[in-house]
Amino acid sequence: MPPADEHTAFDTAHPAVPAVYLAFTLAFTMFSFQPVLIALSLAGALAYGCCARGVRETLAGLRWQLPVVAVIALLNPIFSASGSTELFRLGVRAVYLESLCYGAAMGALFIASASWLRAAASLLSFDKVMALFGNAAPVIALMASMTMRLIPRFLRRGDAVLAAQRAVAVPGRTRGELVRERLRLSSVLMGWGMEDSLETADAMRARGWGGAPRRTTFSRYRFTRADAWALAGLLAGGAAVGLLAWAATSQYSFFPVMSRLVPWWGYVPYAAWMLLPAALHLCERRRFA
Amino acid sequence: MSEPTRRGFEEAAECALEVRDLSFTYAGAEEPVLRDVSWRVPRGSFALLVGDTGSGKSTLLSLAKPQIAPAGEREGEVLVNGRPACGMDAAESARTVGYVFQNPDNQIVCESVWHEMAFGLENLGTPQDEMRRLVAETSYFFGIEDWFRCETDTLSGGRKQLLALASTLVMKPELLLLDEPTAQLDPIAEKNFLHALFRVNRELGCTVVVATHQPRAMLDYATCAFRLRDGSLAPVEDLPELDVRPRLLESVDGGRPGVRAELERAAAGAPAGRGSRRARAEQPAASVSRGWFRYGRDAAWVLRGIDLVVRPGAIHALVGGNGCGKSTLLSLLAGTRRLQRGAVARFTEAKALLPQDPRALFAEETVDDELMEWSGGGRYGRADVDDMLAHLGLVHAAALHPYDLSGGQQQLLALGKLLLVKPELLLLDEPTKGLDTASRRLMARALVWCRDHGVTVLMATHDLDFVNQVADDVSMVFDGQIACTQPSGEFFTGNVYYRP
Repeated sequence: MPPADEHTAFDTAHPAVPAVYLAFTLAFTMFSFQPVLIALSLAGALAYGCCARGVRETLAGLRWQLPVVAVIALLNPIFSASGSTELFRLGVRAVYLESLCYGAAMGALFIASASWLRAAASLLSFDKVMALFGNAAPVIALMASMTMRLIPRFLRRGDAVLAAQRAVAVPGRTRGELVRERLRLSSVLMGWGMEDSLETADAMRARGWGGAPRRTTFSRYRFTRADAWALAGLLAGGAAVGLLAWAATSQYSFFPVMSRLVPWWGYVPYAAWMLLPAALHLCERRRFA
Repeated sequence: MSEPTRRGFEEAAECALEVRDLSFTYAGAEEPVLRDVSWRVPRGSFALLVGDTGSGKSTLLSLAKPQIAPAGEREGEVLVNGRPACGMDAAESARTVGYVFQNPDNQIVCESVWHEMAFGLENLGTPQDEMRRLVAETSYFFGIEDWFRCETDTLSGGRKQLLALASTLVMKPELLLLDEPTAQLDPIAEKNFLHALFRVNRELGCTVVVATHQPRAMLDYATCAFRLRDGSLAPVEDLPELDVRPRLLESVDGGRPGVRAELERAAAGAPAGRGSRRARAEQPAASVSRGWFRYGRDAAWVLRGIDLVVRPGAIHALVGGNGCGKSTLLSLLAGTRRLQRGAVARFTEAKALLPQDPRALFAEETVDDELMEWSGGGRYGRADVDDMLAHLGLVHAAALHPYDLSGGQQQLLALGKLLLVKPELLLLDEPTKGLDTASRRLMARALVWCRDHGVTVLMATHDLDFVNQVADDVSMVFDGQIACTQPSGEFFTGNVYYRP
């Protein structure tokens, strides 16, 4: 497995920039129920996936994504029988072409959203999210940070306890006893965790926890003028693209007959918006080509 | 102001830490743990506070830090830089007195190194720019910049402890208190940590007080030492007198009287089938041949064609650096992991593994229930458990929760729990980690007793002194293979660098 590219789009920007971009993109994707816009959004997400995670990884993802589209497309006509072009009948229910396409569009929209969320994980890493939250809610940010540590620790410990139980040969241990030991795992872990947390609490107090009326947050990111310009650009562009997407979506309908799709200049800005991270990623990579 | 009083103040100001006639009794306890302790730690010194587990070292240190002081009745005064410690609020105390705990895992709060470094400063409400400067400065001092962006959980124990030290010093305390800071570290990590501590002391002029039951490694750095025994404190006049390796066994062939007799009595319920074992004495108790092992598809090989033979009825030690594969070998022999290539052979199915953290074995509410846990189906009975409690020295603690025992007692309890199911192959992962001399002695005797009753013992450890005094055979693991296997005496005479 080739490692994911370290440096990606918005790498040098303040976390607010990718956050705003992702918020707009997810909103566009979820609310634009129009075949071309869905296709463009999906293309953008997959293009970025190919850049950031590699072509093979992204295509491997399609192995579960395409069946999902198929299932949703096939299930939809069964639940909603509307449309005008009857394809065939399943018992007493008619299956219409429009229903089938609607389901396929829904499936594609689902995959596009999932792909963008996946992209969000690399565009906006956890510590960037924390940096965004940190200033507004320092305590919540700290709690999230501690939880992020505790969960993997809990899992590792669970493995350690199970291994310790398996490593002892208790002569004639019955299946019932073994199951009982397994069931007790959660209470063992809980007790262990509580015990540790007492010491963690002491360590926190020893380092001045609650010492100042208001905590500050150490931030590794500075908000610069370039970030301000980028944000302004994103907000303006987002508003314009949003209007276009709204116009395209409101003019299109699946039922009773699917509207005819025609070439339209408005798709171009939408496509540009969706392909932005992939383009930025390629630019970043070109620097060291 | 009268003359003597003023002199008193001046003297107090020369002391980073001064304790006057301090007595302390834990809430609910009858006996005081500290009795009229008076103690002066001069500014700029590197002081050791030695004493066995339970002697009150931690209590004494924590009383200088009101935020973590235990509940109880106290008399007398604790002065930091001539000012009463209990008069300081959380912020002032954090800026004046730093405190580092024993466990590297538990004292780390945040998920990433940079956040951990900033944690204390965030608590104090330090402005952003000053925070950046302090974090940067401190990271350079400790050489943290290479792993500044790492997640704390991926660090080795030594680095975690170094991070704990750095994240305390980032608040610029003048007095640094450390409670057994190296007890959980391997010898190399311990030296690194102590060296960093030494630089803090000499280069930054920070007063350092280390509470420890193993002062040997720190003697080169210390300027003074104090011994806490039975609740009272006395200065150690001659530092080199702390450089001793206490005997763990009364005589070379294992202590006879006392504990031995007790153990002998308990041996009525000792492992069955000794005759059959003797018949098989010729073949190895356990072996690994040409074993290859790695943890993941893309991970590097941990074991590279390793060959290991464990003699039956011997105490065999595996030594080697961190991550050299000692623990992996134990889990392979315990059957919790499988080799990718090669073979593992055990002469018996009756095996038991004492994990590095004994708490992984604890599931019950009391010590007594813990020992009774596997008694179902008539494996062993009440009498065996009582015997075991007696020779683990835990009779008085039978009703306690296992977590309320000291680290050494927990280790012994876990060992006792395993011995009750009568293993013939006993595997131990770092059995003496963090133990004081008394507990190490008990552990040594328990292992010798096991050997004398035909149990084969294989332990992975960093404690070379323990190996030297207790083990029969030693194997050094290096680069995924066994570099050598020798009787322990020969092993240590042959070594130039690797010795207790």
